Order: sequence, then structure tokens, then C-alpha cells
Amino acid sequence: MSKETKTPSKLEKILAAGHLGVTSECGPPRGSDPAHIAEKAELIRNHVDAINITDNQTSVCRMCSLAVCIRLKTMGIEPVLQMVTRDRNRIALQSDILGAASWDINNILCLSGDHQSFGDHAKGQNVHDLDSMQLLQTVRRMRDEGKFLGGDDIQRPPAMFAGAAANPFADPYEIRVPRLAKKIAAGAEFIQTQCIYNVDKFEDWMKKVVDRGLHEKAYIMAGMTPMKSAGMARYMKNRVPGMDVPEEVVKRLADTPKEKQADEGIKICIEDMQRIKEMPGIAGFHIMAIEWEEKVPGIVEAAGLYPRPEV
Amino acid sequence: MKNLLPKVGINPERIEMFNLSAAMGPRWAEICTEFTEKIRVLGPSPIWFALKARKEKAA
Amino acid sequence: MIVGEQKPLEEIWEMIKIHKQVLVFGCNTCVAVCQQGGNKEAEVLASMLRMKATQEGVDIEITNSGIERQCEHEFFEKSEKEIQGSEAILSTACGIGVQFMAEKYAKPIYPGLNTTFLGAVEQFGVYTERCQACGNCVLGQTGGICPIARCAKRVMNGPCGGSTKGKCEISKDVDCAWQLIVDRLKLLGRMDDYETLTPIKDWSTDRAGGPRKLVREDLADE
Repeated sequence: MSKETKTPSKLEKILAAGHLGVTSECGPPRGSDPAHIAEKAELIRNHVDAINITDNQTSVCRMCSLAVCIRLKTMGIEPVLQMVTRDRNRIALQSDILGAASWDINNILCLSGDHQSFGDHAKGQNVHDLDSMQLLQTVRRMRDEGKFLGGDDIQRPPAMFAGAAANPFADPYEIRVPRLAKKIAAGAEFIQTQCIYNVDKFEDWMKKVVDRGLHEKAYIMAGMTPMKSAGMARYMKNRVPGMDVPEEVVKRLADTPKEKQADEGIKICIEDMQRIKEMPGIAGFHIMAIEWEEKVPGIVEAAGLYPRPEV
Repeated sequence: MKNLLPKVGINPERIEMFNLSAAMGPRWAEICTEFTEKIRVLGPSPIWFALKARKEKAA
Repeated sequence: MIVGEQKPLEEIWEMIKIHKQVLVFGCNTCVAVCQQGGNKEAEVLASMLRMKATQEGVDIEITNSGIERQCEHEFFEKSEKEIQGSEAILSTACGIGVQFMAEKYAKPIYPGLNTTFLGAVEQFGVYTERCQACGNCVLGQTGGICPIARCAKRVMNGPCGGSTKGKCEISKDVDCAWQLIVDRLKLLGRMDDYETLTPIKDWSTDRAGGPRKLVREDLADE
């Protein structure tokens, strides 16, 4: 079942052709040396369809996502430009979108961004001229109408495949599906979810998503992050907002000898992926293994998603 | 009050509120004696010392 | 009303100690409600500063007074002489009062308060922010709860992914504004409104557009 594509995005083409898409994520460095991130991208390039580059994640100041995305393009790798609305007003956001499009970057993930109090510049201002939904609207308007928010025409509109994040586990639970519907109405064409550990709850969310037919309006990609240790599981369970880590997962890792916990974490990830693969409405996976990128190829292969399709 | 006094370097124990009726004579005497003793133990306040220093300077 | 918080005594002392005479001047409207800068608080502050001055061995005369409001000319009339006769004023009004006095009097006017927000008295002693004076009120669409003042990210189509158990990601003590909005929409039977996209905000009526002014032509003199 092949759908039509609206942009030159490789990710869009793969998803439209009906394959399960695979994306991953890399975090830029805290300095101006691009070597490390180029290596990380190189490590996983053949096992994913596109790589998200985070945007000052957790409000910690890093090399900007746009610069890294451009570098990836020069390396022949497909990037997903992550853009938060915390740090830039509508002028800067549209400007960066045009900058990205000038380098033929065709994927954007629109986010609000973590509050600056989480990062190393808690005394800074936050912008939030737009929120993530309004940024989606902006991207779609720029692409489909060829106009700036202010109304003027855009010379060579950006051909961006627009994405958003969704969290099936955040509160309030009752609006999780209406919220997804809203993001899609705002313009989201692909969705990457928060990482999943409570597969039952995720399945419940997916059923509701499919009931509303939302899986046909946007490609839903399940977020996966392998646990490195029981300590990590506990931390994510207790300290990270919007994260649902069932006690069984923590226990399973805690019952494993320390030196084998990482392997067990990867095993859980692969098992979950195999279960999620079978759920109706799933269009792919978004594997987030920040600072553990070397494990991504193994996970992709074990989940039966290698080799990646050619388009 | 007890929160404000430390901000100017004064021990909050130097101030206390007691609720009494005019008929509670013995209790009044008791409180006076106890509190006077308390203050005597605490010694002069920093204000007393500062005022003394000022007087000596003027002399 | 406007809420402020008295500056630390040390900070105030550092500002005024260079003078020989200072008038601590209270404002008895907003900042009296939150018990920070009213005429009573000004009196207490003056007393504390005198104690401080004595201990520091600094020769400074500290008087205190106050008026109903420091943001309107007519209330100053009765204190005109006292103000003119003072070397410097420590105003315990909000930032508006301090500035208004600075415009009126060719004297140093010091702020005794940090003006913090526009808020309500949730209960005696507890004051919380409610309004950011954005100039374009959306309360009709959000069930009466402001996402600009009460959401740390002023998300217009919330909640963000960090909302946890009705609390904001920045602190367990901060309610998630969008949880409150959703609860309110449920209460009012207007959950369908939730999926209506809030249009991109025009911030030109906000601080971003520059200092704001309102003139009632029919009321203002020439």
C-alpha cells in the first residue's frame, strides 16, 4: 500500500512505501568539534533511515542541531532536524527552516523543549513565541502555501516532512489520543513516541489511535530506549517526567547480575519491539540510545529490521 | 517578630508574648522573675553594646 | 493585585547607608495585601534599619510614613512636605510606585521591594501568579485559566510532555496549567473544545511590542 509523498524526504518515501521505518537519535557535542558526532552517525547510518539531531536537549547548551544536520547531509546521511520553540522566536524558527531547506534537509521534528531550569542556563529567558503545534502549522504553511507567517511569499518554499512527538504515558491520560489528533490536525505527518516500557499501556493507546483512524493520517513510530542498568530504570521511573516504567521491568533488571544488566536491557528492548511490530497502526521505530549508539545496529538486526529498504 | 529580630542580629529569645488577666497576680510575678533572669543570662543586646560604643566615641 | 517581596535587609542597608536621612515610605494598596510594603511594613522596616544603623555605628536618621497608593498623584498631596524635606526615600511600593516617585521628585528613590507578579490571594498568606498582562485575553477559550501566566512554557495548546500527576515538570509545587484547563473544560462539559487549535498569538500587545499605554480621550485633560 503505497502512499504519495509530498517531499524528497527519504524517510517519507520509505514510510509511504509501506515499510517499517527506523530512525535513531544523536546528541550534538558541548563544543565546536564535530568529529565525535560524525563518528556516531557513521556507526548507525546503514541501520536507520534517518537520524534525529537533538536541539539543546534538556536545555543544556550544545552545538546547534542545524549545523549537525548540514554535516550529515554532506556525509550522505538523512537527518531529522529537531526544533524546539523554547529558544527561538517565529522569525528565527522560519529562518532556520529555510536554512535547513537550502541544504536539502527534508525532515523536521517540532517540539516545545524542556524547561530551561533543567539545563545549565537556568537564568536564561525562554521564548515560546510559538508552541510545538503552532510550529507544525508554520512548517506546513511554509511548505504547502509557500508563505511566511507574516503573509509574504517564500522564494522556493521548504519541502519539509513534518513530525511531532507524542507521549502515550503523560498525564492527563484521557487527552493523550485527542492530543495526538490535535497534532495531526496541526500538520504532523509522522510521530515519534516517548520511549516505551509499559507495552500494555502503549497497546491500549495504539488501539484508541487506530479506532480514530489517526494511523492513516500520520505515521506512528514507536520510541524505544534500551535500559543500561537497573539504576537507569529506577531513575527513569522516579525522576523523569512523563515516563512510565513498570515495576516488573525494574525488577527484571535488578534481579540480573550487574555486569549482565546492559545485555538484559537490550533483550527487553528487542522483545518489546517484536511485540510492538505486530500491533496494527505501527509504521516504524525510533530508537533512542544516546551515548550508546553502538548498540543500535544490533538492536535493529535482532528486531528483524535489517537491511534497510532502498528507495 | 521572632523571624525579624535575627535579621538585625538580635536573639529572638529576647522577646516573648504572654497572655494574662489582671487577676493572675502571682503568675505575673513569676513570669517577670523568670524572664528577667533569662535576659540577665543572655546579657546585654548588641544594640546596648552599640549605643555604649557610640557614647564612648562621643566622649 | 500586584505582589512583591521585601528585599533582604542587607541589600536595602547597602543602598541607603550612604545617606544622613532616609524616609521609609509605604504603599497601602497591593503590597499591603501581601504584607510586604504597606504602611505597617514600612514602619517595621524603618525600625529594623534603625537597629541596624545603631549596631553598625552609622549616623543616619530613619523616618517612616506612607500613603494609600504610590501610583496616583493625588495621594501624594498630604505627604508632599515630608517627602520634600527628606534627603532620600526608600519606597516600599511596587516598582510602579518607586518609578512614579522618581518622576515626581528630584531625589534618590530606592526600591524596598522586588516586584514579582500579578496574582490572587489563594488564602491568607499565600499569593500566586495569575496574569501576565499579555494584552489579549484568551480566558474565554481556556475555561478561565491562563496558559500564559500559569504555564511555565506558556504553551497555547498544552499540556506539554512533561506534565506529571497534574504538576508542572519544573516543580511538584507548581500545578500544570493545562491539567487545570482540561479539568475545567470537563467540568463545564466543553471537552470538545480541547481539540480546537489555538491560533498563533499576537504578542505585539504584550511587553514585546514595547511599553504600553492606555488613554481615555474622554477623560484625559489636554
